[in-house]
Amino acid sequence: MANKPSRWIALLLLAIAGVYLVLAYQLPEFPYAIIDSDVLPKGLGFLLIILSVVLFATAKEETAEEKEKRTIPKNDLVILLITAVAIFIYISLLEVLGFLLTTILFLLFLPTVLGYRKYGVTVAVAFIFSGVMYYSFTYLLNITLPQGIMPF
Amino acid sequence: MDFSSILYGFQVALSPGNLIFAFIGVLAGTVIGMLPGLGPISAIAIMIPLSYGMDPASALILMAGVYYGAVFGGSTSSILLNAPGVSGTVATSFDGYPMAQQGKAGKALAIAAISSFAGGTISVVFLMLVAPFVADLAVTFGPTEYFALMLLGLTAISSLSDGSTIKAMIAAVVGLMIATVGMDQQTGTSRFTFGNPSLLEGIDFLIVALGLFALAEVCQLILRRKEKESKKKSDVGNLKLSKGELKEMGGPISRHSVLGFILGVLPGAGATIASFLSYISEKRLSKDPSSFGKGNIKGIAAPETSNNAATSGAFVPLLTLGIPGSGTTAVLLGALLVVGVQPGPLMLQDHPDVFWGVIASMYIGNLFLLILNLPLIPFLAKILAIPRQLLISLIIVFCLIGVYAVSFSTFHLYILLGFGVLGFLMRMFSFPAAPFILAFILGGMMEQSFRQAMTISNGSYNVFFQSNITIALFIVSLLSIFVPIISGYFKKKAEANEDERKGRTA
Repeated sequence: MANKPSRWIALLLLAIAGVYLVLAYQLPEFPYAIIDSDVLPKGLGFLLIILSVVLFATAKEETAEEKEKRTIPKNDLVILLITAVAIFIYISLLEVLGFLLTTILFLLFLPTVLGYRKYGVTVAVAFIFSGVMYYSFTYLLNITLPQGIMPF
Repeated sequence: MDFSSILYGFQVALSPGNLIFAFIGVLAGTVIGMLPGLGPISAIAIMIPLSYGMDPASALILMAGVYYGAVFGGSTSSILLNAPGVSGTVATSFDGYPMAQQGKAGKALAIAAISSFAGGTISVVFLMLVAPFVADLAVTFGPTEYFALMLLGLTAISSLSDGSTIKAMIAAVVGLMIATVGMDQQTGTSRFTFGNPSLLEGIDFLIVALGLFALAEVCQLILRRKEKESKKKSDVGNLKLSKGELKEMGGPISRHSVLGFILGVLPGAGATIASFLSYISEKRLSKDPSSFGKGNIKGIAAPETSNNAATSGAFVPLLTLGIPGSGTTAVLLGALLVVGVQPGPLMLQDHPDVFWGVIASMYIGNLFLLILNLPLIPFLAKILAIPRQLLISLIIVFCLIGVYAVSFSTFHLYILLGFGVLGFLMRMFSFPAAPFILAFILGGMMEQSFRQAMTISNGSYNVFFQSNITIALFIVSLLSIFVPIISGYFKKKAEANEDERKGRTA
């Protein structure tokens, strides 16, 4: 089991299929439909169960190549996590601070974390890109991006 | 064929505004496609938000440019860096990279550009000739035929995608599950929305496409961000080809524009398989197969012709049936729907202008690719030297704003992030993402045609066994799942025997 990650994934999928099926069985009935809205979900739930069982049964030991594909050096893993968290914070602040401010902050932060050291370029890109994006969406495409605390 | 329509299509495509859109599309597509890991699906998804509010023709021209540009951009990074941007250009790197190492990168790029152009243009002619017939046939299709056809699309893409068939099928089933989220169109029941009104309309396809492809691929870029320094080359050398070299390309171009087109029409096959098959068959045909892999001109021309021809071929089912056969055309279908174009058998009758507009825009996209990109190649190659860290950050912002511009709610942005994580994990554990997105797009349509069929028959499943076309399609879908499994089993057995024999002789 230790070197067969497919088995863990199969178990996880089995759990997902189970939850999905439970929810599918709770769908309300609609009296006049020949095929009600629960038919497809139920079918899919059972199909996923069958497929997970097949995946579990046919799981092979990982080849070295596959293993290498999914091993990430610790530093990179940290950076990926920081990126994900940065995106999360970006989303949370987007409507609070507004597009311009949040994007500038994001574009100052992320390249630096990723290891880009030319700060002058970073600052220029952050300000110019955010400004151009904001202008083109708001004034050229007429799609209003969140203004936030900024006056324009 | 209706020549006035195609002329009208060209008229639309050649207006100054649309020429600019074609240029922007090709350029942006090339740049995005050049980034290793980011393919046409991401490129199209990233560019979709720009097409909001555009008139359909301009948006289509933009998208066609992005599509061809991304495929070509992939070849560029295959040749210059040996890092294919998309799986469809892996075969190009076999001979393209060796050629670049011999200092003939410019030549390799020119061969790629010319073959792409030829493959694309020749196959658009096929598309023009074939599509009306398929559309005529498709008009007679009922819900059972459609259901069977979509099922075939899913089974074919699952069995043909790289890696394990079972994993691909799981990806497809999960894609279908995600498609069930939202209010059921027929009964109004809300499914899996957990009382959240933002989920009532279901999850927008753009969120899935951007998360599963663009964001997940950006994660891969993050892991590979340090790669470029060592291989940076700004000088691509001379672009000129001699007459003899051009002549040498003639054979592969004519052969593989046909082969690529046919493979592209088939559901599930697409550019990757077309380019590999072309490469292999060209090598078999060659008098000197040992020169392949060492910078053979035909070794670049064959896959490049083929992958572009396959992209046009993939438009046949998309435009005539309204059913995408691959991940890329699934996203293109989404792009068409965003601008208010519903492809299908009636499109040719009801909206010939749009149909021919798309075709004309494909010619224009190809032409732009050639006349703009060829002279720009030396400059475009410098794009590869732009710091990855900056590009990664900008692409992330593009994805987020793209989704915000459709939904105007941060809730959907969190879902986007979730799909990004899912897409990354799927890549880590070798679950293909193309079946997922195709299933997601087809899910609603499949359920609808299934229900229509069952309503016609008043609940009897016999309706699925009354049309020969439906039965034939079901049989082919079953074969597409079981043949690879069975042949895989026999192959394994043969290999085991081989090992045993080797063991004995050793």
